[in-house]
Amino acid sequence: MRTLITLLFIAAAASASADSPLFTSRAAIGSLSGEQIYDHICQGCHMSGALGAVGAGAYPKLAANKKFVSWEFVALTVLNGRNGMPPFGLPANRESSRATHLTDAQIADVVNYVRSHFENRYKTNVTASQVAALPHPAAELIGPQ
Amino acid sequence: MQNGDGSNSLSRRQLLQMIGSTAGSAAMYQAMSSLGFAAESPYQGPIELQGAPKGASVLILGAGMAGMTAAYELRSAGYKVQVLEYNGRPGGRNWSLRGGDRYTEMGGLTQQCEFDKDLYINPGPWRIPYHHHGMMHYAKRLGIALEPFFQVNYNAYIHSSQAFGGKPQRFREVKADYQGHVAELLAKATRQNSLDASVTKEDQEILLESLREWGALDKNFAYVASEAVSDRRGYEKNPGGGLNGKPIPSKPVALRDLLESGLWQGIPNGDTFDMQTSLFQPAGGMGRIGEAFGRELGPLIRYNSKVIDIHQDAAGVTVTFADAVSPGSKQSARADWCLCTIPLPVLAQIPMNVGQGMASAISAVPYAAAIKVGLQFKRRFWEEDEHIFGGITYTDLPIMNIGYPNTGFQSGGKGVLLGAYIWGLNAMQFTAMTPQERVQKVVEYGSQIHPQYHKEFDNGVAVAWHRAPFTLGCFGMWTSDTRAKHYEDLCRIDGRIALAGEHASYLGGWQEGAVTSALDAIDRLHQRAVAQGAKA
Repeated sequence: MRTLITLLFIAAAASASADSPLFTSRAAIGSLSGEQIYDHICQGCHMSGALGAVGAGAYPKLAANKKFVSWEFVALTVLNGRNGMPPFGLPANRESSRATHLTDAQIADVVNYVRSHFENRYKTNVTASQVAALPHPAAELIGPQ
Repeated sequence: MQNGDGSNSLSRRQLLQMIGSTAGSAAMYQAMSSLGFAAESPYQGPIELQGAPKGASVLILGAGMAGMTAAYELRSAGYKVQVLEYNGRPGGRNWSLRGGDRYTEMGGLTQQCEFDKDLYINPGPWRIPYHHHGMMHYAKRLGIALEPFFQVNYNAYIHSSQAFGGKPQRFREVKADYQGHVAELLAKATRQNSLDASVTKEDQEILLESLREWGALDKNFAYVASEAVSDRRGYEKNPGGGLNGKPIPSKPVALRDLLESGLWQGIPNGDTFDMQTSLFQPAGGMGRIGEAFGRELGPLIRYNSKVIDIHQDAAGVTVTFADAVSPGSKQSARADWCLCTIPLPVLAQIPMNVGQGMASAISAVPYAAAIKVGLQFKRRFWEEDEHIFGGITYTDLPIMNIGYPNTGFQSGGKGVLLGAYIWGLNAMQFTAMTPQERVQKVVEYGSQIHPQYHKEFDNGVAVAWHRAPFTLGCFGMWTSDTRAKHYEDLCRIDGRIALAGEHASYLGGWQEGAVTSALDAIDRLHQRAVAQGAKA
């Protein structure tokens, strides 16, 4: 069993090294910084420059966003989702069966990033333990992998 | 390596997580079942609504499968029906992108589909299981020709970039070898009397014979290279006619290599209820159904109509909408009843006076990210070089699936592959790219499976569902928790407003969910309308 575990571990490490600025393997998601999380994930809906977008419904503009005065609002949204936005937080028991969630530290990091960029100038430095204290999703829900 | 000193040894869960990376696995369908997938259609045959109150009217929001099913049946029942649709076409997620089509995603990036005539991809649904009786019924009623959809192709691949040197393995070989080795092990256990407590002596004889048959074992219950085994996994040299016709058997892969590869996860891909033969696709693209529905309903549908307010009062429902082409002008439509099929991420942003229960339910359902990328190649190399005719290759690469066209076999000229069907976090990352970057990455990854990509690639289109302006996502994701809290509130009629769509079903992500939820909703609306008598 040891051999097998080592072998698989090497394999996972090898795939992480094949990452590009455009795509990060699931194995390496856990090491993304706040800025990288924005570029790799949030930008899909909130767009480059955090400008948001409009269709039949809209994705909110995060740039110069007055609601960002509350770091809790931003952190709770990333953790638990909002309307159609999927939750990114670990489930309440903090156990994930698949590496598809952002850690509390990463959520703190991405909250700090969006609140201090895109014309947002909030200085509070949110910590992982502050995020950990907020309610987390009841169940995992980032979609089947 | 970090675990060189053993301090970092993996838990069983982590181990399974790690090998759980091969896409399209049974694990996925297990996950999907808990989200409400994989349930049987409740379709009970054609609906018959009798005796619509004289002059009664229904306003339907959305001309997708749910909205058009409802419009079609309510019109037959005698209701005055009007449909408002955001897009300039019918169908919603029932949609095919063909050469000449343009698609603008949220954020404003526009793609021009440059496929050759008759070539297409289905960015949304692409298959109809035979037991989706509602979809089958309307396809027949609308005169849609169906073609087989090959969910399982024994000659397509299961691929792991971490196993067999990254060389894709044929489904046929993986299945035969896994089955053979497991049969051999179980036969061994039986003959060593390990099963005495569970199986009677007589039944052990039957079990052994069944294992021999199931696994293609030899007379000693061993799984070894032989004609019988090659008849399952394929030959080194196929049998043929004439002087050199004698076949050469192939050699099975060792059990250990197979287990450690993780490829066994791809074996049950056609075993789940939704994926069992037979499955179908409309000839010419899934969008043919929506287009036919749209023709059938004709002027009942008002296109380019963006709903901005839904207001009910004691006598009816007034919907305010803007023309999506010239957004300045507001107009309104009114009817006695309203069936709203607008996807929840959009509906959550539209003011609507319903009770707290329905309002909370509308906000409680996140929508999945999903990506489909269509690639046109200069020739059908998957058929010409690799003899893959339809079906799906599964891979642990971020592209997750390659879908081969289930039609147009051996036709000359160009061909279009589904180069990627991606969900989950991978899909979110692809959504964050530009369409050109998505196509470029998909070609790059896909060439690890089909090196011909480099030479034969022609052009591509990439649809990221979180950027689809008319849905803001692919489908609603329920958990058992949110179902318990919100599902009934979502489906229950609120005053004069009922909701329908795949989101209001236990067949999430399937068109059958949209159809059956619409039929259920209009049945209840009709009862209420009849109970209230003539035009209110």
